[in-house]
Amino acid sequence: MEIDHNALVFFSKSWGLLYLGGFAVCVVVYTFWPSNKKRFVRAKESILDPVDKPWQ
Amino acid sequence: MAGLLCAIVVIHSYYEPEPTPDRLSSYYDPPIKAGIAMSMAWAVFAMFVGVWVALLLAWPELTFDQPWAGFGRLRPVHTTGVIFGFGGNALIATSFHVMQRTSRARMPDQISPWFVLAGYNLFCILSVSGYFIGITQSKEYAEAEWYADIWLVIVWVTYFVLYIRTIARRKEPHIYVANWYFLAFILVVAILHIVNNIAVPVSIGHAKSYTVWAGVQDAMVQWWYGHNAVAFFLTAGFLGMLYYYLPVRAQRPIFSYRLSILSFWGITFFYMWAGSHHLHYTALPHWVQTLGMTFSVMLLVPSWASAGNALLTLNGAWHRVRDDATLRFMMVAAVFYGLSTFEGSFMAIRPVNSLSHYTDWTVGHVHAGALGWVALITFGSFYTLVPSLWKRERMYSAGLVEVHFWLALAGTLVYVFAMWNSGVIQGLMWRTYTKEGTLAYSFLDSLVAMRPYYVARAFGGILFLAGAIVGSYNIWMTVRAVPQAADTGKDAPQPEKVAVAGE
Amino acid sequence: MPELFHRKLERSTIGFVLAVIAVASVGGIVEIAPLFTIDETVEEAPDMRLYTPLELAGRNIYIREGCYACHSQMIRTLRDEVERYGPYSLAVESRYDHPMLWGSKRTGPDLARVGDKYSDLWHVSHLTNPRDVVPESNMPAYRWLARNPLQMEDLPLHLAAQRAVGVPYTDDMIENAAKDAYGQATPDSDAASGVAERYGEETQIRAFDGVATRVTEMDALVAYLQILGRMTDAAFEHTAAPQEPPEPVK
Repeated sequence: MEIDHNALVFFSKSWGLLYLGGFAVCVVVYTFWPSNKKRFVRAKESILDPVDKPWQ
Repeated sequence: MAGLLCAIVVIHSYYEPEPTPDRLSSYYDPPIKAGIAMSMAWAVFAMFVGVWVALLLAWPELTFDQPWAGFGRLRPVHTTGVIFGFGGNALIATSFHVMQRTSRARMPDQISPWFVLAGYNLFCILSVSGYFIGITQSKEYAEAEWYADIWLVIVWVTYFVLYIRTIARRKEPHIYVANWYFLAFILVVAILHIVNNIAVPVSIGHAKSYTVWAGVQDAMVQWWYGHNAVAFFLTAGFLGMLYYYLPVRAQRPIFSYRLSILSFWGITFFYMWAGSHHLHYTALPHWVQTLGMTFSVMLLVPSWASAGNALLTLNGAWHRVRDDATLRFMMVAAVFYGLSTFEGSFMAIRPVNSLSHYTDWTVGHVHAGALGWVALITFGSFYTLVPSLWKRERMYSAGLVEVHFWLALAGTLVYVFAMWNSGVIQGLMWRTYTKEGTLAYSFLDSLVAMRPYYVARAFGGILFLAGAIVGSYNIWMTVRAVPQAADTGKDAPQPEKVAVAGE
Repeated sequence: MPELFHRKLERSTIGFVLAVIAVASVGGIVEIAPLFTIDETVEEAPDMRLYTPLELAGRNIYIREGCYACHSQMIRTLRDEVERYGPYSLAVESRYDHPMLWGSKRTGPDLARVGDKYSDLWHVSHLTNPRDVVPESNMPAYRWLARNPLQMEDLPLHLAAQRAVGVPYTDDMIENAAKDAYGQATPDSDAASGVAERYGEETQIRAFDGVATRVTEMDALVAYLQILGRMTDAAFEHTAAPQEPPEPVK
């Protein structure tokens, strides 16, 4: 099959949209996955720890 | 010269005392300190040049008949100096700090951070010195010629490897979101820089090169680069700062960690498509323009999510914002981030762009972002970082931080309002018709109408520059002050809440 | 066991890096990929000519002085721009431009069709001191251009590099680049005859800076400015009407 300009434009438009949708779903699933919650809460509290030393 | 500089750095570290085991019990901070110093030095230099180019537009004889002082040569000195000199050094310094703190791990070695910092500044010097003598690619925000570009790739790869190695040593299982932003900044800037700068040098001994991209393709690559340089250099990296220093300074956890993840991926995804809004109504195919416009408008969602997240973090600490100019720097930065991303999405809409493009409105928009967002969040982060790095109780003078804040805010507002006015007037004059259906104003009429705004803009710039000088002085005096007697290990001056570390 | 744990950590970092690359680059690829075949959509312009060595040298001076910072070379498809500057710019017109100089800011007017609009003498006085001819101008003066002799010996290298990135210069053109640059600005010399032969009869051959005995940077820059918008007539034949500007937003 020959790849001409219109074919590439069509590819961009169709698969681009699909990619956008699929990607959005993945991110939302990751963000709201119940078992991730604990990690996120810990992460946001952890930077306020006043001890300014690496953990051994 | 590059080799010499690196050699000095390497030899210097070679003669450092044998590392003792207890060095692993502290973070490696000297390169961060040097990075802050370089950043402030570039800020003062490049903002001075900025004031100069602003004055040139009102008083063109200020070139003093010197080829190196023409507007076209000084302008890239200003943009490179501010974006890469001031912004880049600030990003390197703060990312070194954030990656160690949030990973709870020391950097894996003591040479590569120095190589990154010195090499990066060498890149800045190489490119800026080239612009003075007319060595430029004339690609906006990527003016540096091929030899400097190749050097930056080497430095950047080292930077990336250093970051990954530190993250890999982390004791904290989760990678804090600020690191995501810094990593995206490093990665994407590398991709953009390489693609946009592919060029064939005239000869190996020649500074000049010709880019492989031509015409409309070059335009698309250039603005794909240009817009994403704004996205990943001037936004992602500085959001990394925001997500670390704002919570630390306010002593409150970020309002919503989940929101910060969503907006991270939103920004990473959407920005990439938006570059073509710089080319509305040009010879670029129409569908690419429409695509760019659509994604630019969608970008508003993750951008406002970040700005809102930052402001909601401060909810309940507004008294602190009132009393602490450092926190106010960061709060106002978040507000300007929200404003300029809204303005950007608005200007990307084709009919609006038909008015704003080619005018000072664009310049005003860029500076609302650069002064109001990038510079203010940097100053806020530095004022948080400097006392903790040098183990001082507080900045040398809280009064001077206050002075800096008001100078910076006033300078930004004067500048931005001057450019909004001049841009809109300019755009309207260009398209105004008489009753007879002829153009009402010559180009020259519009130029004459700009002059008062150009003077006002230069005044705003002077205020902002004055603020940066006050800030540098304050940092310098803080460094020189007598250290605290005991190292309390505080990261912020007034910890109210102590989270218990695990492990 | 700790070993395994450590590996897992590193794996998640690498996974993250790959995710960022995928997310960020696919957008760029999807958007830019069709532009690699854009040649198919660019208008035909059989009369398209190449920059002569002198014009290319002039273009490089334009680049060196950073003129793009204040002058665009892209007339948009809006009625007021077409009436002010001429037919809107076509993609084909910058097809040999490495890099393109479309610009993004008009502190001064657009230059896409400035060629042949003013006399050589006007350009020379304007570049020497803009306020001599336009009292209100805020453009810097470029007095040294008429003083500096043009560097011509390395022009064959420049043309060869241009060919390497896709501009169809012939061996003959590359070989004679320095001579042609000299000839184009010195109409009475022997070198002048070859220029039209290689670059077409339309090529402007004259002492652009008014001095026929030596070739200066002024010669090159004026030669370049005088060819802007004159590389092809395609834009003048294109009949599509420009767009009405939308209603002012205010």
